[in-house]
Amino acid sequence: MRLSTFGPLSRRGLLGLVAGGSAAMALSACGGSGETADNSHGGTTYNGPKVDLDFWNGFTGGDGPVMLKLVKRFNSEHDNIKVKMTTYKWETYNEKVPAAVKSGKAPEVGIMHIDELATAAARGVILPLDDVADALHLAKKDFAAPVWDAGVYQKKRYGIPLDMHPLGMYYNKKVLDSAGLDADKPPSNADDYADALHALKKHKIKGMWMTPFPFTGSQTFQSLLWQFNGDILTSDNTRPDFAGDGGVKALTWMVDVVKDGYSPKNIGQDADAVAFQNDKTAFNWNGIWNINTFAGVKGLDWGVAPLPQIGDRKAAWSNSHNFVLLKQLSPDTNKQAASKVFVNWISRKSVEWAKSGQIPARTSVRESKAFAALKEQSILATQIKDLHFAPSLAGIGDVMPYIETAVNEAVLLKKKPSDALSDAAGKAAKVLKENREKYG
Amino acid sequence: MAERNRTRHTGRFTPYLFLAPYLLLFGTFVAAPIVFGVWISLHEWDYMLPNKPWAGLSNYTDLFDPDSLDFDDFWQSMRATGIFTVASVPFLVVIPLGIALLLHRRFPGRNLFRALYFAPYVLGVAVVGLLWRYLLDPDVGAVNFVAGLIGLPDHTAWVNSLPWAWIGLVAMTVWWTLGFNAVIYLAGLQDVPAELHEAASIDGAGVWHRFWHVTLPGLRPVMAFVVTITILASANMFGQSYLVTDGSPGKDTRTAIMYIAQEGLRGFKMGNAAAMGFVLALMLAVVSILNFRLMRYKE
Amino acid sequence: MATVSRRRKGASIGWYTILIGLSLVFIAPLVWMFITSLKSRDEALRMPPTILPEHVSGKGYGTIMGGDSQAPVLTWFTNSMIAAVGHTALVLVVASSAAYALARMEFPGRKVLFGLIISTLFVPSFVMLIPNYLIVDSLGWIDSLWALAIPGAAGAFGVFFLRQFFMSLPPALEEAALLDGANHFQIFLRIVLPLSKPALATLAVLSFLTNWNDFVWPVYVMFNPENMTLPPGLASLQGAYIADYPVAMAGAVITAIPVLALFLFTQRYVIEGVSRSGLKG
Repeated sequence: MRLSTFGPLSRRGLLGLVAGGSAAMALSACGGSGETADNSHGGTTYNGPKVDLDFWNGFTGGDGPVMLKLVKRFNSEHDNIKVKMTTYKWETYNEKVPAAVKSGKAPEVGIMHIDELATAAARGVILPLDDVADALHLAKKDFAAPVWDAGVYQKKRYGIPLDMHPLGMYYNKKVLDSAGLDADKPPSNADDYADALHALKKHKIKGMWMTPFPFTGSQTFQSLLWQFNGDILTSDNTRPDFAGDGGVKALTWMVDVVKDGYSPKNIGQDADAVAFQNDKTAFNWNGIWNINTFAGVKGLDWGVAPLPQIGDRKAAWSNSHNFVLLKQLSPDTNKQAASKVFVNWISRKSVEWAKSGQIPARTSVRESKAFAALKEQSILATQIKDLHFAPSLAGIGDVMPYIETAVNEAVLLKKKPSDALSDAAGKAAKVLKENREKYG
Repeated sequence: MAERNRTRHTGRFTPYLFLAPYLLLFGTFVAAPIVFGVWISLHEWDYMLPNKPWAGLSNYTDLFDPDSLDFDDFWQSMRATGIFTVASVPFLVVIPLGIALLLHRRFPGRNLFRALYFAPYVLGVAVVGLLWRYLLDPDVGAVNFVAGLIGLPDHTAWVNSLPWAWIGLVAMTVWWTLGFNAVIYLAGLQDVPAELHEAASIDGAGVWHRFWHVTLPGLRPVMAFVVTITILASANMFGQSYLVTDGSPGKDTRTAIMYIAQEGLRGFKMGNAAAMGFVLALMLAVVSILNFRLMRYKE
Repeated sequence: MATVSRRRKGASIGWYTILIGLSLVFIAPLVWMFITSLKSRDEALRMPPTILPEHVSGKGYGTIMGGDSQAPVLTWFTNSMIAAVGHTALVLVVASSAAYALARMEFPGRKVLFGLIISTLFVPSFVMLIPNYLIVDSLGWIDSLWALAIPGAAGAFGVFFLRQFFMSLPPALEEAALLDGANHFQIFLRIVLPLSKPALATLAVLSFLTNWNDFVWPVYVMFNPENMTLPPGLASLQGAYIADYPVAMAGAVITAIPVLALFLFTQRYVIEGVSRSGLKG
């Protein structure tokens, strides 16, 4: 092999060649360490000409800066790959990506939620990446089962899970104290929770601001839906189930929080989190991704716990960020190779990513000491068995807006929960039928 | 005789050479799209999929069929546009007239004031939208703060509850664009012949009488114009909803343009979106014609 | 002058009070925008708000003007400038030539053509949004400044506006030149255009403003932040920097200052252009 073909041989590149030669031995040793070891196995180094990669995501919260730091570190460690990160609101991001792919303006690497993979794969927006998974020696045992399985569509893998991010219950210790509640023992079941809200109300505190927005109203609803033994769709994914008993109970509980005076009406987007930061409320059911946002607020005395069990069983909504490779109109093999290196690298740094307020997708990382040191993330990771993801069905994204609207209307007291849900279910059923015809 | 002069010394092709550059652009980006748009609206045109089956008029009839998927969303967005138009047009027609009357006199600084009231208009909707998103923020916005200072409720949810979202959207639009209408009125006022006013004063008519019977009738054509362009502008509202309320609460402030653009350019249901566009355009055409007839009839 | 006796001269103190009061309504939000851009993120979220920043913070501007910013405002500014100037130049060239032909030349189909062009003035722009997206895509212009500068120049307003103006010019000069043997190109370039400077200036300013502020189209046609102009860029700020109002206001200020400055120097043209449209409409 002619060294000149690869350009200047960096130390890293040399390591790669050597490591590749003794791949067989190294393979067994490097599986699933999840540490920041400098392994350079086959498929994980890039020696081609300098490339620029575009990486889009929707990390608009506290997780954005953490990813940005990782990206910068990657860039500094790789002379011939420069990754540029762009962040949009998730809504905008989801709209832009397919349009960008169609016009050949898509980024090379993106992040998608696990519930979006099936649809994106069906539409030809993302590329299969079985080889990347192989290079990372990823197997089902390394992940929580639903997360791993959900990344497969029609027998091909389309996403590499980066993390899981569930809903957790943040509690404001100062506010709980002021109402005479135990700030170190937040409620974990329906009765204790109701008592706490009642006590807070006596002290003129609206204990739980119920937001009507998808973040996090719809997610709260889904958590409760599962807690009350309902589900979004029937088990064969053909009909809506969210308007059944479980759904009505879940949404009614949420609406009652507003009606009973434990929450203001008409909350603005993110106003519940702002209120939590300003010590105006006690409980905030929010995503694990808010850990750093809250940690950065001076004078905020807070903690986080798994969601209380309001229904018949424990459950919490969760989603998962997955790396995806976007389809390019004119594929560039260099850029593709570099993209895989990038995905590999970030995936191995998942402990670092966990610091942004995520639970690493990889089991070994979750069980590592480094992760245990992240107190809040570890607390929420205890919910792993109870985490639920949306059904992985092509076109599931067309159904969720109806649920979001129903939650919005009910929480804003514009419709009764059962009416809002049944209206939504009616439309959802039509969309499901249409999608079955469209996607096959 | 003049015509013969014009055509002498000019090549047969000169007019076409002059017209060609513009016509190339016009043909590509105005004429073709209109025709193409009709073509698209007659198909099931999903941009991401290879097949674009013929749909006849079904994209249009679907919009009037309560059982179709698009019916609810489309008419809700039309309703949103309708509410905004009905709410904003009166303010945008009357207040600028008042301001024009204020400015319709000679005094030092008049041009300065005229420029000041017009200035917000040159800021695009992006600047105005971001600015008012902040001002209308229910928790940290200046509007609620000032409201609290003067004894009004200080926690109105301007951004995501009705009717406050509409009030906020209308108020910001009035702030933004009333200077434009005021300038048009000013020009119109200057056009009202002075003799009519003089005649009226000689007849002993008071200020109000003169306004009602001389100024207003003289302004009729300008007013018709202002009403028409304001209705069209309001029906086209996109940026304010997109940036300030994002369609909230629910989808109640999602205007027709927002829905059409989203369905067509992000949802890629281009056939449906094109049909919606034409239906909206037709309705606007009817409204404009009615408007002109009404204003002319009064004379 | 007949108008003098009708217009009351001067204004009383009361009058000025009203006018100044009204001005505050228009100016105050802009001043607030500027002040906020100089605050820190936390201070901007404080209630009750501070009137003047306690600590003047350049972070609002720094965040978006920095090299690795996700909101490269200076790039957006440059892109806006390129698109707007390109668009304006294109409009002036094609609209004036076409308007001259329609105003001064006889040729078969002239009336029909003019009617066709004018009729599109009544077609709302959203009708062309989707087809134009497809056309622009097939040209490979998606996510490029071409898509922002070129299609807009096809509008009928410029042609309409300049044709009106050309027709109002006394034909004597042109006819004399024709008799002297000049051809239309020479007449157009050496006589008509120089005489039309005010109208051209007005059209130029209006075209520039329209393109600079164009929002719906760029939001859907531009993807990469590096290629965006200021309006879609500002919209994307809401995603990249949530609830960071100083950053949002800084972006708004940077977008507003050029147009306000332009307006300051050309208000005569802008206001006259707007006024005229009302009288002819």
